[in-house]
Amino acid sequence: MITRTFALTLTAMIAAPVVAQRNVDLSTVPPRDTVQLTIYNSEDLTLVREIRTVTFRQGVNPLQFSWANTLIDSTSVQLRFKTRADQLELLDTTFPHDKPQQLTWNVRSGMDGDASVEITYFTSGLSWAADYVCVSDPAEGKMSFDGFVRIYNNSGEDYENAQVRLVVGTINLVEKIADLARRGVISEQDRNQMERGGGVLRAPARARAELQDAVTAGFAAAESAAPKEIVKEGLSEYFIYTIEGTETIRNTWSKRMRLFTGTDAPFDVRYRYRPEEYGAQLVRLFILRNDEASGLGGTPLPDGVVRLFKDNNRDGLSLLAQQTIKYVPVGQEIELNLGPDPEVIHEWVLLRSFRDNLWFSRSGVNVRYSPTQGHKIEVNDQVIGWDEHQVWTDRIRNYRDKPINVEFRRSFDGDIVFRSPLNPALHDYRTVQFNATIAPGEKKDLQYRVTTKSGYNQKEQHVVLEAGE
Amino acid sequence: MSVHPGFMKPSRVAAAACVIAGMLAARDADAGIKLITLPPRERVEIQLDHPNVTLVEEERVVPLNAGVNEVVFAWANTQIDKESIQFRPLSDPENVRVLSVSYPPNENALTWQVASPKAGSARVRISYLIGQLDKSFAYEATAANDEKSLTLRQYVLLHNRANETFGDAGMWPGFGERFERPIGINETKQLLSAKFENVPVRKVYTADLSEFGYLDEGKKQLRVPMHYLLKNDSANALGKFPFMYGKARVYQDDGRGTTAFLGEDWLKFTPRDDEVRLYLGVAKDVVVKRTIARRDQNRVLGNLYHYDVVVKYEIENFKDAPVVLDIAESMQSLRREILGRDTGRNVEFELVKDTPMAEMLDKEKSTADRLLFHVPLPARGGDQKAVKATQELHVLIKNEW
Repeated sequence: MITRTFALTLTAMIAAPVVAQRNVDLSTVPPRDTVQLTIYNSEDLTLVREIRTVTFRQGVNPLQFSWANTLIDSTSVQLRFKTRADQLELLDTTFPHDKPQQLTWNVRSGMDGDASVEITYFTSGLSWAADYVCVSDPAEGKMSFDGFVRIYNNSGEDYENAQVRLVVGTINLVEKIADLARRGVISEQDRNQMERGGGVLRAPARARAELQDAVTAGFAAAESAAPKEIVKEGLSEYFIYTIEGTETIRNTWSKRMRLFTGTDAPFDVRYRYRPEEYGAQLVRLFILRNDEASGLGGTPLPDGVVRLFKDNNRDGLSLLAQQTIKYVPVGQEIELNLGPDPEVIHEWVLLRSFRDNLWFSRSGVNVRYSPTQGHKIEVNDQVIGWDEHQVWTDRIRNYRDKPINVEFRRSFDGDIVFRSPLNPALHDYRTVQFNATIAPGEKKDLQYRVTTKSGYNQKEQHVVLEAGE
Repeated sequence: MSVHPGFMKPSRVAAAACVIAGMLAARDADAGIKLITLPPRERVEIQLDHPNVTLVEEERVVPLNAGVNEVVFAWANTQIDKESIQFRPLSDPENVRVLSVSYPPNENALTWQVASPKAGSARVRISYLIGQLDKSFAYEATAANDEKSLTLRQYVLLHNRANETFGDAGMWPGFGERFERPIGINETKQLLSAKFENVPVRKVYTADLSEFGYLDEGKKQLRVPMHYLLKNDSANALGKFPFMYGKARVYQDDGRGTTAFLGEDWLKFTPRDDEVRLYLGVAKDVVVKRTIARRDQNRVLGNLYHYDVVVKYEIENFKDAPVVLDIAESMQSLRREILGRDTGRNVEFELVKDTPMAEMLDKEKSTADRLLFHVPLPARGGDQKAVKATQELHVLIKNEW
């Protein structure tokens, strides 16, 4: 049973051209032949394209299009003729002042007969989101990576038997469709009714019967016993997923479908300390790549929640992580953050601290003095420059039964010399990066000396690397 | 009216999550006459290994017809994370496939469209994250009468406020043994997850002004807490896994066949090879008075000074057994005490090795800020008088201005 009747009616007036207001009309309601939804996920925007067959008479034919209780942007509604276009001409479009969710087209026809018309418009309230389910093997070397899309319909309209296309990418809109739809178009009363979910418009009996036929046909289509293919293709800066066949998405319902299946995607386990990315903690990451070698790479991965499980070898799963990933282009790495690992212990310990290279100032003299340069220091001279040395260790203990790779990034403010045998590299002018491998059961000290040139000694804001103990 | 084997919304009894399956013959979900099946749970696993969330996996045998079936999963009054629910066919997973999932508005339910090539029963696994079904850890330590060793028991407490009964559910806390127990609504189930016997224990008395303060500031008498110290490694009969945070209650064999309660403390997360320290109370029989015996300010150059500092500890052990006292000094705190201000710089210091205390330094546990010494104290004498021992910590605090 259809709980909602459609809110869009297209009325072909049999009578002569529309004149002002009339109280008695006879109308027919051409049903939708097909409907296509193109849903964007970066904005609350859906392009609806519907095809209807209209019977025209020679002369001027008024067509009335209305959309009560939906979130359609009236400025976006367009009419095109798919057949007999050479004999049909759109003369004008009228938006009646007293019926905000309605417009009338006057179409001049050079023939008597049927023509297929396409009506397109933007609506808000339809959206979609991706999500992913990954299951690692017990050895933590490969994972399944399945993508899903879930379509939400809060548009106020049941879309029955619709072809659905989903757009990945960030589109530019200067005004929100929902604002355009609401702007003086929906009465307060209607809005309240929509919020209660009670807005139902009655359609003419024939239209309802046709709609129900369409629904039946839609469910017959949905009974296909194979999961639907989702065709993925690029379009300009966007990516479009087209769901095979048609879908019925009732108002206020949502529906989830499989987007792709990835099996045996190889991944690396890495440990990273990068406070700006992961907070001040050593975190465990599973890193794989969205490419064909991983059994993925058929499509960029839209923003979405990833739920990462592991086969726990006891005929069950363990949850490892639940996180949101940002859009991953084809070929890019996917980072799954498992958080700190209780089996890999990280401590940051200051081992020693001392000062040298002292410089002094003398009252009334614009000269600096250093005892290490052989200068004589007087009793009233003041320390104005020095080098502060700190010997630190990043101490790692690995209780896992495999060697682990750890990657550190540490940032420093000031004029810094970073001295270490760790073969460090600069990530940026103030951030040092160094890596190490820790064997199973090993406790390793990653030791380095940080010299901060302080006071008068500070000449730059950067880190200089130096090899040495 | 014809009768369609179909599906319906379950009645909202107490709480239970339930699965309803049937052939999709009629779309009419609101039809007045329905035929439904209610497959019971065949197996439940409660995965407690994640630190923050609980994963429930349940298996049910669902009757499927050839073609497309609708399987409804519905729950009430439980905090199942709707977004996390997964459905996996275990029987013939290559051919029994989930086509899509539909989520009705304002209902704790969802419907899987499941295609099956043939009619018959299919075992499926449904997994979801659930709130209000969580765990905590508790520890019980029973020390021997001589306090040289103890028996440590670790318990997992499963708290079921999820408004759902789980009969004979398998549970795994992330390490150790797997359990299989039923758990009812609002029950807490305490399970012994590990037991360690003959664990060596060391009683540690600590004098650390910066951490524990004074017992009597006027007399400069330090508060000396007593801790039980266990090392989480195999040499000390532990080291199987890291200990999770939880309350530890400590008892002692009183020598009369019963036990006495000594106290309790929070056992902090303790990785393998780290020490478990359980604070049991203030040891008033170990008296430590701390004074600054020397503060000499020596000019180096200009306004640059070294400070020659001796911290004196007068120690009396009124116990009738020898003990080891841990003395710790924070160099930042000591410098603040000496200079009367904070310079914002690290403390550069040198331990002057002209006192016996320098030989008692624990090099492994000392850092650039905190020095730790282990000082053995003899038992009180036969005349019940304590031997007053004096220890001196001699440090040079360098390059201050």
